[in-house]
Amino acid sequence: MHKWIAIPAALAAALLLAPADAAAQASCPVKIGGVLPLTGSMGPITKKIAESAQLAVEHINAGGGVKGCPVQFILRDDQGQPTVGVDAAKYLVEVERVPAFTGTISSGVTGPIISSITAPSKVVQISCCSTATPFTLDGRSQGYFFRTLPTSKTQAVATAAEMTRRGLKKTAIIYVNTDFGQDMLRFVKIALPKLGGDVVAEVPYTDNQPSYRAEVTKALAEKPESLLLIGFPKDAVTIVREWLSLGGTQKIALNNSMRVKDFVDGVGGRFLNESFGMDNAQVEGPTVDAFNKAFEAKYKYDSKGPGVHTQYDAMMVLGLAMNIAKDLTGPSIKDAVRQVHAAGGATVGTGPDEYKKALDLIKAGRPIKYHGATGPIEFDANGDVTGPALVWKIVNGEIVTDHVISIDQMQALFKKIDG
Amino acid sequence: MIGVFSYLVFFLCVVLILGVVALGLNLQWGYTGLFNAGVVGFYAIGAYTHAILVTSPQPQMLGNLGLPWIVGILGAMVASALAAWVVGLATIRLRGDYLAIATFGIATTIQLVTLNWDSLTGGAQGLSPIPRPLAWWFGSPLGFNLFYLGVLIAVVAAVYWALETILRSPWGRVLKAIREDETAAIALGKSARSFRLQAFVLGSTLMGLAGALYVSFIGFVSPFDFLPILTFQIWAMVIVGGSGNNKGALLGALTVWAIWAVSGVLIAKLVPPTYAAQGGAVQVILIGLLLVASLLFRPRGLIGEVPVVSRHADD
Repeated sequence: MHKWIAIPAALAAALLLAPADAAAQASCPVKIGGVLPLTGSMGPITKKIAESAQLAVEHINAGGGVKGCPVQFILRDDQGQPTVGVDAAKYLVEVERVPAFTGTISSGVTGPIISSITAPSKVVQISCCSTATPFTLDGRSQGYFFRTLPTSKTQAVATAAEMTRRGLKKTAIIYVNTDFGQDMLRFVKIALPKLGGDVVAEVPYTDNQPSYRAEVTKALAEKPESLLLIGFPKDAVTIVREWLSLGGTQKIALNNSMRVKDFVDGVGGRFLNESFGMDNAQVEGPTVDAFNKAFEAKYKYDSKGPGVHTQYDAMMVLGLAMNIAKDLTGPSIKDAVRQVHAAGGATVGTGPDEYKKALDLIKAGRPIKYHGATGPIEFDANGDVTGPALVWKIVNGEIVTDHVISIDQMQALFKKIDG
Repeated sequence: MIGVFSYLVFFLCVVLILGVVALGLNLQWGYTGLFNAGVVGFYAIGAYTHAILVTSPQPQMLGNLGLPWIVGILGAMVASALAAWVVGLATIRLRGDYLAIATFGIATTIQLVTLNWDSLTGGAQGLSPIPRPLAWWFGSPLGFNLFYLGVLIAVVAAVYWALETILRSPWGRVLKAIREDETAAIALGKSARSFRLQAFVLGSTLMGLAGALYVSFIGFVSPFDFLPILTFQIWAMVIVGGSGNNKGALLGALTVWAIWAVSGVLIAKLVPPTYAAQGGAVQVILIGLLLVASLLFRPRGLIGEVPVVSRHADD
């Protein structure tokens, strides 16, 4: 045999031998896949996210597993590269025969996985972190893709509603030029006019610049009476200080990232008494605290960080849905995901004991309502979580909750805007 | 076993697509000695041209013309050839590392354009759904993948045959002469600049073709598909396989991509679940070790260059 045949032949043989145990898929253990960028540019933030997934698997197994079997979590690295992620997902779905998997973070990797694997192979995919809006909206996922983080739309609509409630007019928008910033801008621009506001300037900014004088001057040229700032705290401090020093109004609306003391102290609390911001109201409650405690107890550091909470919920939702589903196929699990938060269900929370309680309820044929590490998890028709929004304001340098916009009110707003 | 078969078909499709890119780079580097460090740029132009031509119309988009698949493929080749011609006119006089820096910069620029020209490329959100040829006709993913594998085998065979034919012709020997000693080639009356430009455009056209084949296989395109890492993977394929040999380029594509895939499988199998979060780092180390080992033991590549003389030499 030629050498150049021998090498690929050996590799092919390795591929064939590797999954020899996959044939026993119907019985224990039940496999759940995972695709996350453990290395690459997202590596540093993914470590905690992967640990959170691991913690959820431990809780699932301690609480009774899936249909009496322990869960085996098979985690693959996508290296932040679409081709690698697609290959990993294909391997999980075809060779390991997982009916459902979690992943991934970068929208650029999640997109090709949905279009080439999740939808055609009819497997369930739940992401903790991919925000790009079209994934759930344009039908390409055929209902098999879910995500546990609220999309920018909730926050954008809530922001527009609060701005018009306060009678703010002639708004200038300064936003960070990323898919998050672009998304927020798009939805605010749709929502504001329909609720009675108007936009006079839209100025994008690039993060990590020493000064934003040019952007601020451009926005001020349109003589705005209010400012909406969409971005991240470090740059936002610079922008707001320059905005105020150039004579901009103190009527400033902010996004969720600015709900941190560093931002308020950086700008100076006395300048922000007319400012307010948004957040998802789901980031509080006993089930959230329980998760934080469990995470700290296991890993000896806190659970703060992007995606940590939503990843835990993604895994727990998969675990619960696989128990509710009549069999472990993609289509059954897909339908079951929506019953994880059923009307009239008994509330179940985070941790192994609560999971066990949920399994008992499911066995008894009773509905459940999952409240996770990010609060109540309820998927809408598109596979996105809808949630209540929270309006916060700054009083004498302290961040305080102003009021909560309930799910019902949010849905009324969506109706008004979408028509 | 149907699952393993299905995965292998998918895997081979990716290998063949990357193989076309490797063939393009092999023409440029292996035969002509052009250090193109912007492979991913021409791959991106092909991919986006195809996506823009064939994706069904949407109101907020400039492109999305909804044209047939084959128009997208040909359009991608034309667009990447034109782009390579323009880039080539400006840069082809640069030697070695200077050309590498210029092409690397151009590839990064192309990637940033796709990220920011929202109305044409969809920006960070990507562009989709890109129709997959006849996908509606096949009931299962395996059916479509088998069909696409057939298409790819045909394309690769055609490309391989065409390259072998022209590279064994006098034209191919001029390329090698330029690679070995440009001054001598010029002294023999050959226009090195023109030949270098031809090889650059032809190689880049193949990269564009591969880009189009990739997005119509996956059904989605976004700027994240075109990060510089891909350029280095293609380079690894050509070097590991054996530069200056088209069989080597294809074998390199198979080997390098298999190293990537198999190492991931091994890590997922061997690393205990509690350390799965650290497994990714081990995989990257493993990939590096395998590539280094292959170069230590096979410095000319798995199958190196074969001496070719004119078939008329013995006449």
